[in-house]
Amino acid sequence: MEIERETEKIVKKAADLGVSHVDICYQQYDYELITVENKALKSYSSRRLGGLGIKVALNDAVGYASTCDLNYASLEKTLENAIKAAKLIKKEEKRIVEAKVNRIEMKSPYKIDPLNMAPEEKVSAALDANKAAWIDKKIKSAITRLGISKDYRIFISSEGSRVVTETTMIGVAHESVAKSNGIMERVPYQESKCAGYEFIKSMDLNSFAADISALAVEAVESKTPPAGTYAVVVDPNVIGLLLHEAFGHASEGDLVSTRESVLYGKIGSQVASEHVTIIDEGIIEGGYFYPFDDEGVKKEKTVVVENGILRSYLHNKTSAYEFNVASTGNGRAQDFENLPIVRQTNYYMGPRDHKFEELIEDIDFGIYIRGKGATGGQVEVGMGTFTFGVGPSKIIKNGELAETVRGVVISGFILETLKTIDAVGKDLTVRTSVFGGCGKMGQTVRVGDGGPHVRIRKMTVGGR
Amino acid sequence: MELAELAVKKALDFGATEAEAYVQKVKRLWIEFADKIDSFKIIESIGMGLRVAVNKKLAIHSTSILSEREVEEAAEKAVKIAKVAPEDPYWKHLNKEFGKSPAQGYFDDKLEAMEYSEIIEKLNAAIDKMKEYDNRVKPTRGMLMASILNTTILSSYGEKNERKETHLAAWMRAKAEDYGEKSTGTEHCEVRFWNEMNLEEMAIRAAEKAVKFLKAKPIESGKLPVIIRNQVFASILGVILSGPINADWVQKGRSPLSNKLGMQVAAQNINIFDDGTLRGGWRTRPFDDEGHPTQRTTVIGNGTLKNYLYDSYTALKDNVKSTGNAFRDQYWMPLQPLPTNLMLEPGNVSPEEMIQETRGGIFIDETIGEWLSNPVSGNLNATITHGYLIENGELTTPIKGIVISGNFYEILKDRMELIGNDLRNNMQNYSPTVKLTEITIAGK
Repeated sequence: MEIERETEKIVKKAADLGVSHVDICYQQYDYELITVENKALKSYSSRRLGGLGIKVALNDAVGYASTCDLNYASLEKTLENAIKAAKLIKKEEKRIVEAKVNRIEMKSPYKIDPLNMAPEEKVSAALDANKAAWIDKKIKSAITRLGISKDYRIFISSEGSRVVTETTMIGVAHESVAKSNGIMERVPYQESKCAGYEFIKSMDLNSFAADISALAVEAVESKTPPAGTYAVVVDPNVIGLLLHEAFGHASEGDLVSTRESVLYGKIGSQVASEHVTIIDEGIIEGGYFYPFDDEGVKKEKTVVVENGILRSYLHNKTSAYEFNVASTGNGRAQDFENLPIVRQTNYYMGPRDHKFEELIEDIDFGIYIRGKGATGGQVEVGMGTFTFGVGPSKIIKNGELAETVRGVVISGFILETLKTIDAVGKDLTVRTSVFGGCGKMGQTVRVGDGGPHVRIRKMTVGGR
Repeated sequence: MELAELAVKKALDFGATEAEAYVQKVKRLWIEFADKIDSFKIIESIGMGLRVAVNKKLAIHSTSILSEREVEEAAEKAVKIAKVAPEDPYWKHLNKEFGKSPAQGYFDDKLEAMEYSEIIEKLNAAIDKMKEYDNRVKPTRGMLMASILNTTILSSYGEKNERKETHLAAWMRAKAEDYGEKSTGTEHCEVRFWNEMNLEEMAIRAAEKAVKFLKAKPIESGKLPVIIRNQVFASILGVILSGPINADWVQKGRSPLSNKLGMQVAAQNINIFDDGTLRGGWRTRPFDDEGHPTQRTTVIGNGTLKNYLYDSYTALKDNVKSTGNAFRDQYWMPLQPLPTNLMLEPGNVSPEEMIQETRGGIFIDETIGEWLSNPVSGNLNATITHGYLIENGELTTPIKGIVISGNFYEILKDRMELIGNDLRNNMQNYSPTVKLTEITIAGK
């Protein structure tokens, strides 16, 4: 590619200007989003983002600049901007660990390139699914989305790394709103995969949408649970959300090194019950395909928690330096306009040996907390406080599933919550999404999360 | 803007009946810090969102690669998508009402001319203030952003509008540690002018809060009167109301405020406005994202629902005038009606007076998760990370880790006891401190 030749020239020029280290990230990102609302196409938007970012280290200070304009004069100006930025913060010392020089290309597999599919076929798939969602008079609104992304990145460093990655992803999202007796309930859900259009062809989109409507109708006719603290069983979606948000962020090395995280100083100590093993991994079935990070480091399988003991934080090259360990390949940037910061990839709980029935059988009164229809979560990593709006769930009575409850919000302190896990299921589901991602410091990246079904003895549930 | 004109012209050549180019040029400084500055970024970017119609068929395509060839390809792709799109029976035409309102206070020419070193100095001074405040306090994370935005909108109706804006935002967190007890304090601020940003004051407040909350504890579940701080209630207001008052939600049947124009939806003393002309407001600008002039719109007046917020598409559908609320979060995102600056009109009680006249209750200073509230049902949920007990007219014990829940529409109707006089914003949402008669609390 022409851009690679220009990039090589910039690396040389930087060396001439006394820059000790340069990373260059070129990216071309394509995104398509088809939105169907109430049986009509609302919008078909497509997007191409292309550009290049330059990170320089000058006397240990880091400067960064980026541009969308890829002619050589503009790249030179961007290099100058990066150097200017580095000089301005020259006081501070920011060192990074060395990492293996990689020269590799890796692409997520797919059969049918979704960007090349005829637009009319994609529109009609979403339209048909949306029409199938109107199963009941109580359904007042239905939105179906089809999303496609392709993220192509070239990472080049002055040490000689050249890592090319491409991740192609597709997914469908649907949201139904049901109304009954003056109450409205919204149930959003999505399925995505790092694959091509064959994934959409393999799905029954119509029943996917109809099932979500059925859940919205069921929810709108149900009650909210009484507020209190209960024994609960959470499904893989909820344990994924909980781990990613409430524990995963706290295990990110940059948040630990600033002592912002509840996990500061806890390596080797018990942070969860002995049934809990937590892993961050770059390539896993159902997750987001992320073989190398944006600092050119391979994303290996990182065991964060082993049988309840905290074994490792997640690191990029900067946080790894501060902890005197190797980078775990978690230096990720949203795009070429951003510096890589410590981020999770696919974060999940390892399965054990319980069947679902065994998890609920000794609960006299509790809740089976489900993720389908969840609206998201938020966490304060300093104290480990979390709060999540989960989907319509089921009451557990005398060891059996009973009525559905809506409007369920769970909250707690993560380190206390994880210690009350007393049984872990043998199933494992990891999920990702083409419709959103995880946000941190203004950057959104795609992630995967999940786990098995898990029993938690004490969970605060807020209803109304 | 040559490329915008080229894009519109090419779109028409490929068979579009209408076309609109939205070009945004951004220069952004982005600084991340903890106990020292971690990184300094200079981002220069440009992007174009192209909206085309082929009769009643529509499409949007965008690109950040603005070479002549890419612009031509973008026009071709947009038209190709539009041609296969099903007809939108409600489509009439793109916005034809171009113009500018007399909005003021959205561009800081000093920021444009300023040396970066001034920003760095002020920030370093603030970080030092936080460290000096108390030896148990450490700055753990923060962000400072300054941006200069140039936006051009050009349509095939021969109209063109241009604006230049500045935005400044900062966010910082202090952490305190004392004999194993840990706590945090966070402050944020979003303004349009550099001299409105008081970094040192933010640093001191965050530090002060972190220290106070070292001994914070949850409380028992129950129902109590609450006072909610301005920025927190502003955020709740935005989360709950931004969707339901948007004409698109109303037309699609998603809004609980559908068919309620002219009806009492709040107590008599409640006034809520959307004001695109608010001096220095976070989303103040002379025209919206399709070139239509902005305005001040009464959403709720004396408790009565007065207006929904429209862009030209939803307005043409209802046969009314656009309220100048067309909004694109980014150049590549689809257009939708959204609030400019959404505001609960302040009353005349100071927060201190509110506290003084409360015998027992809680004061909410900081929350997380309020955006999990459900705008459709009005179900309000938030976790209080920083609150205080109010006992006999005084703030006493710091409290944390409790969940509040209630229904926002019920609050507007009959739980809003007092409205403060201290208007502040959380991004584009503006509110004074408010006192509610009662709210449900899930504690330990």
